[in-house]
Amino acid sequence: MSISVAIPRPQRWDRPLAPDMTEGDVLRVLFTLRVLGAIDQGQFPSTLSLQDIIRNDARIRRYRRGEVIIRRGDYGNALFVIISGVVRELLEQSDFDASSDADVHERRGFFETARQWWRQADTPERRDVSVYQDGHDDHGLALGRRGERESIQSIEALITRVPTRMLTEQDMFGEVAALSRAPHLSTVIAETDVEVLELRWQGLRDIRRRDKGFRDKIDAQYRASSLKAHLRESPLFQGLHETALEHIARHTLFETHGEFEWSGDFKNLADDSIDVLYSEPVIAEHGDYLDGLLLIRYGFGRISERLDHGHRTVGYVTHNEVFGLREIVDHWRDDHDLRLRHGLRAVGFVDLLRVPTALVEDYVLPNIPPHKLPGPPSSTSIRMSADFKWEAELPLEQATINFLMNNRTINGTAAMFIDTDRCTACDDCVRACASAHNNNPRFVRHGPEHDNLMVANACMHCVDPVCLIGCPTGAIHRTKDGLVIIDDITCIGCATCADSCPYDNIRMVEIRDDKGDFIVDQETQAPIVKATKCDLCLEQPGGPACQRACPHDALTRIDLRDRERLVDWLGR
Amino acid sequence: MTTFGQRRLRNWAITGMMAGLIVAIELLYDMSLRDAAFLNGWILFAGMVLLAIFNLRKKLNILPLVRMSTWLQLHIYTGLVCLLLFLLHTDFSLPNGPFEIILWILYMTMTISGLVGVALSRFLPHRISARGERVIFERIPVLRAQIARDIEDLAMTSVKETRASTIADFYVQELAPYLRRPKHLIGHLIGGTRPERRLHVAIRELERYLDERGRQILVEIDHLVSAKADLDYQYAMQLTLKSWLFFHLPLNYGLMLFTLVHIVLVYAFATGAP
Repeated sequence: MSISVAIPRPQRWDRPLAPDMTEGDVLRVLFTLRVLGAIDQGQFPSTLSLQDIIRNDARIRRYRRGEVIIRRGDYGNALFVIISGVVRELLEQSDFDASSDADVHERRGFFETARQWWRQADTPERRDVSVYQDGHDDHGLALGRRGERESIQSIEALITRVPTRMLTEQDMFGEVAALSRAPHLSTVIAETDVEVLELRWQGLRDIRRRDKGFRDKIDAQYRASSLKAHLRESPLFQGLHETALEHIARHTLFETHGEFEWSGDFKNLADDSIDVLYSEPVIAEHGDYLDGLLLIRYGFGRISERLDHGHRTVGYVTHNEVFGLREIVDHWRDDHDLRLRHGLRAVGFVDLLRVPTALVEDYVLPNIPPHKLPGPPSSTSIRMSADFKWEAELPLEQATINFLMNNRTINGTAAMFIDTDRCTACDDCVRACASAHNNNPRFVRHGPEHDNLMVANACMHCVDPVCLIGCPTGAIHRTKDGLVIIDDITCIGCATCADSCPYDNIRMVEIRDDKGDFIVDQETQAPIVKATKCDLCLEQPGGPACQRACPHDALTRIDLRDRERLVDWLGR
Repeated sequence: MTTFGQRRLRNWAITGMMAGLIVAIELLYDMSLRDAAFLNGWILFAGMVLLAIFNLRKKLNILPLVRMSTWLQLHIYTGLVCLLLFLLHTDFSLPNGPFEIILWILYMTMTISGLVGVALSRFLPHRISARGERVIFERIPVLRAQIARDIEDLAMTSVKETRASTIADFYVQELAPYLRRPKHLIGHLIGGTRPERRLHVAIRELERYLDERGRQILVEIDHLVSAKADLDYQYAMQLTLKSWLFFHLPLNYGLMLFTLVHIVLVYAFATGAP
């Protein structure tokens, strides 16, 4: 086979966030915005200067009065700094929040899918080479340029209806979603015509790494915004008077446990359930005095109890769930001992709020209808879910719970589970995946196994996608609804994401041109590689092809946050 | 979520109702002294077309045409209804013309191979799961070659480190042929373990001729031989699961061809039939 086409090896800033960002814009931003102007530029190497970061990883965006800038519930990866104008942050739910039912992806139609099926190439990973050769992205694939802006007619009416906070020049927002890889906690709307600087995660990360002042400022704001917003978000605190909420917020501690970039540590751990558990930082120990209610803001906590000389895992808590409320309620109602009946450990990385017990008893519990509180002390509920439901220990075999926890499968929102008691290894799932993805499947029908359950090597679209952290270009990113996808044009093939994925679910592939010949680096003649992984068939009309193709009901994609479905599926 | 038990119950109920309806129509036709063969023949043909479409749907794997698991259920239960129709169509007896006999044999073989396939796909996955980690079929030769290399290395090491040729001789005479290709496939399929047990006994018998280091090497070889047996087991099961389709599918093409000829012949010689 001949080598037909050579292209320059893709570089980090081949496709800047805004191609029209000029030197003048960069200087204007540095001169206008104090948070960036105060940075000592001498800390940056010449190959990664602050000006280059701003020119390539930032853009100036203009919004007209009433336009929605960010929406509560959408995933985001950028910090916004107001250059001019006024915006309103909506502090509670509104009609402008992201809808969980909305399908944000443009899916192919039936006939387009039929054409895709008919035109499958005989060699894998074919690409249109022209998209790599022209310097501009006019293919509609650049990050953050999709979607139409939504706007509101009467912003005054909205302000009277929903509590808001006014943000003006120099103020920042969006840092919570960018730093915690979590959805935005509030919707922000332009109150006047505004101009904002949008700094995407890659630039934010590089500036944070080098400048302590910038890092401290952003982190402090992250903690402050996150604390109040999360208290408001929790069903426990809804209905509290603003003064009481302020009082609670003042005394609440924001804690972070575990490593932000936990992938390396996890990969180094042997598959030893005891070691895995003991390697996890202790947040609260079984039997300890309970000084505060723990609200999980981000990440996962392992709930365990002491059993003789070891610890038994009984479940896990995640975003917006609380730990320790059962003990506080029993103390408040029946004067029971304020000692934890279970322990809590950080699985990977956990952000949480610790609300003092006394404040929970004084302000929160009297405000909750008695029927919503847990039953008598003998009942086995261990956590309260985000929708105010009390949940007991996971009704699964102990070994299954350990398997899911120790492999950190609980991180998945679309983990591929295969029931090996039903899987006949027909590979229809693999073929369907290949048909949907350039004649090359995006997963391997193999992975960690426990009893008849296999978690195949397919991207799980994690709650905490650590693969995103190191990407130099932002090619691997989250869609607004939380899917983790790779933009092929922006990917430079550095393999950082593949190395960071704790589950080895990202693969580097050598790409070919439309004739089936390899595309190579014009300098070294080495093949150009791209990162690939499961995209959950976001463009296919029927959803994940693997799941639809399985004739034996052996394969499913499961959101591990949905414990009921998990238990149902395992117990079919 | 519907459990498999609930689904099975529902599907059997629907199939039972369909069967009852077909029998009732057949009886009504008989009572009215009409020949039901044309009616049940055409319904049977429609059912056969539906059964054949299943394979087409499998190939159109990215089109949103109802989930494959639903199609498989439809395929299985339609196959059962078609069997009843076929038996009614042939009056529960072997036809008398040679062409019809071939068609009858083709149909019954097709149906039986389908039922065998359903049974295999329900029972063999359980047996694979019960014996260690699931291995990708295409990787089995690679893993087997790796085990063979490891055992060969151990045999060579034993000569160097123990200055004895017991293990190496055993390797040449017994293990090398065993490792060369998958062995005892039928035995694995029917659940037999005798050849495997005999090999392990033979390995343990060597202990008395070895020193401490030799025994250590022998234990490692014993483990690797077990791993090879596990691979052969997986190979036997997965090969069976894959290969029954190579029997079932070509039969389908033959059956459809014979059926079309049968229809043409029936109409060609049906002048004057009611």
